[in-house]
Amino acid sequence: MSRAAYPPPRTIWDGINPIRMIGELSETRYWMYLLLLPSAMLITAVVLYPTVYGMQMSFREMRLNRPDLGTDWVLFKHYARMLADPIFWTSLRNTAVWVTSSIALEFLIGLIAALALNRNLPGTKLLAVLILLPYFLPNVVAGHMWALMLDPRMGVINDLLVKTGLLVGYKAWFADPATAMAAAIIVETWHSFPFFTLLIMAGLKGIPADLYKAADIDGAGALAQLRLITLPMLKTIIAAAVILRVIGLVNSPDLLLILTSGGPGRSTQVLSLYAFQMAYKDFNFGYAGALSVVMFVLLMLFAWAYIRLSKVNQD
Amino acid sequence: MTIRFDRRSMLKLGGGALAASALLPRTAFAQSTSINYWHTFTSQSEQAGLDSVMALFKAAHPDISVTPENIPNPEFMAKITAAVVSGSRPNVTMVSSERFRDLLAMGALVDMTDRVASWERRSDFDNSRFDSISLDGKVYGVPGFAFVDWMYYRKDWFDEAGIAVPTTWAELRDAAIKRSDPAKGRYGFGLRGGPGGQNIIINMMEAFGSPVLHADGSIGLDRDKAIAAVDFFAGLLVKDGAAPPSAANDGFRQIIEGFQTGQTAMIYHHTGSYQDIASKLKPGVEFGTMAIPAGPGARVARLAYAYNTITKEEGADAAWEWIKFWGEPDAAVAFLEKTGYFPASTVAAQDQRIIGNPMYAAAADTLAFGIPQPSFPGAAGWAESSVLPNFQRVLIGEATAEQAVDDMIAGLAEAIA
Repeated sequence: MSRAAYPPPRTIWDGINPIRMIGELSETRYWMYLLLLPSAMLITAVVLYPTVYGMQMSFREMRLNRPDLGTDWVLFKHYARMLADPIFWTSLRNTAVWVTSSIALEFLIGLIAALALNRNLPGTKLLAVLILLPYFLPNVVAGHMWALMLDPRMGVINDLLVKTGLLVGYKAWFADPATAMAAAIIVETWHSFPFFTLLIMAGLKGIPADLYKAADIDGAGALAQLRLITLPMLKTIIAAAVILRVIGLVNSPDLLLILTSGGPGRSTQVLSLYAFQMAYKDFNFGYAGALSVVMFVLLMLFAWAYIRLSKVNQD
Repeated sequence: MTIRFDRRSMLKLGGGALAASALLPRTAFAQSTSINYWHTFTSQSEQAGLDSVMALFKAAHPDISVTPENIPNPEFMAKITAAVVSGSRPNVTMVSSERFRDLLAMGALVDMTDRVASWERRSDFDNSRFDSISLDGKVYGVPGFAFVDWMYYRKDWFDEAGIAVPTTWAELRDAAIKRSDPAKGRYGFGLRGGPGGQNIIINMMEAFGSPVLHADGSIGLDRDKAIAAVDFFAGLLVKDGAAPPSAANDGFRQIIEGFQTGQTAMIYHHTGSYQDIASKLKPGVEFGTMAIPAGPGARVARLAYAYNTITKEEGADAAWEWIKFWGEPDAAVAFLEKTGYFPASTVAAQDQRIIGNPMYAAAADTLAFGIPQPSFPGAAGWAESSVLPNFQRVLIGEATAEQAVDDMIAGLAEAIA
């Protein structure tokens, strides 16, 4: 609609009346941009600015405890250092193990729990609340709790394993590089599998029961129904859940910080923990920024590849 | 009777209340200053010690309200850095000596030189107490209490086996081997190879004759001596089997629990854990205290201080009152009695409650030879990100002492570059 829809101003007041001016503007094509402006400003302030600031930091010398070095542009210095940094490569490898194993276990257990709870058997409502409890615990609490339960001196898990004959003696799970990562993955799985349970349960409610009835008539067993109905119908939800959890796992060092601090040696050092240590132990925000940019790019690539491979967009 | 709340009656009520308020005693509106205090106390005894000091302070300064905020040690630098960058600093922050240079470099500390110089209790403190919190003639804090390194040992076990208290690291190794019986889950030495263990490793290297930096700021680590130190210290686990297998992940909680529960015969810590140990074992009967043994190069025990610093100008006068209160003998002794942390004030350290207790004799001896922690920008980061992980690699058989020390030297070069 054009301005012609509005009658021409009849008095001087009509020409300067702000309400009339807004009314006229609302009839133009600029109106939608004006409406978007507050959101765009908010997104710029809380998302775009910190992201771009973090990225530019990775091209600067920025060591908070060395003001004598200044904050000049160093271009790709931090990235070049990264390529030659063995800790970076160890962290990258550990991140892959940490994320892949945790996601696989969390998804598997989350799916089984959701399928079980979806059967609406007596007591499932109470069970659903109990299953979701670990997810409500802050990482710090969950980490310290498990550190105590797996403690080689006073840990209840060691005690149980020894008493049942599964272990000969108490095991220092986090002090042995062969078991430290596995123990941390178990803790992470325990803490976060309810996230998958929650989302998958919501997805299961949306699958029409008729599909299962028809499959029953066609003679499809439980496994065939899971493979041919349940999983394809949950594809979008699973894709979203996996991407969200991968982002969470790649970016959050807190659980590993509490359980192992990346040790023993570098056996549980992951990228987020390395970036955290670089920033807050070494105060090298330039290098930490470069590590964060690499994590950001890897996550973008993963999300893009995963969505393409899972063919979610084709639905 | 019906009460009517119309406009007129509300105005009358408001006017009456305003007039009545003018008659109230002025003291009811006396200004109370609030300050917040960031500290890293974690144990129950430390919390009890802080409560004691706060109670005494409240009685002496009812007009100043102190809000303590616990910042766990592992998160401390992240939190204070964020607070400095975002402008949300606390009024007073507890700063350990190895963090001083990093915090000063990032502009977190307020110059306290004039306040300290005109302080009536300044003469109670030896000049050396301020060395680790001063730079270029400026003072940035006041020692609140001292960390005096010492060791705890199981006196009952030593007496039973007729073992003398070790005075050198070689003697300690022999004693640790003698008191170890892995089949029974007993180990001679509670080796701290997890969080916080980095400073002990640095101490060991110095004890073997390898300082971290030279006086001119260049790398002082002597490769051969540092290797000997790492090899010896890690050897307590990997060669002698005299330390618990969990050593590579054992931090403060684990070594204290190991000692309290009878898993280990000796641990290296400071006086701050005395009350925690004494809460489980009988002082002078089940456990004793001893000075840190001498190494082949030197006898190295840290005499460090927890400094209270002003971290923002706002409320600085009230912050100063709180900071200097820690130097009052009554406050210092009250804190010692709850925790075991030694007073930083030389006057308070002469209190009969301290010199009359034989369990503190080892700490009093250490005051004569203890030295401060190496402090330079990047020291804490290097210790935590390079020294500790590389030492752990030796403990888990992933690297030799030579490889670990080479990586530590490379890490140090990077930290001071």
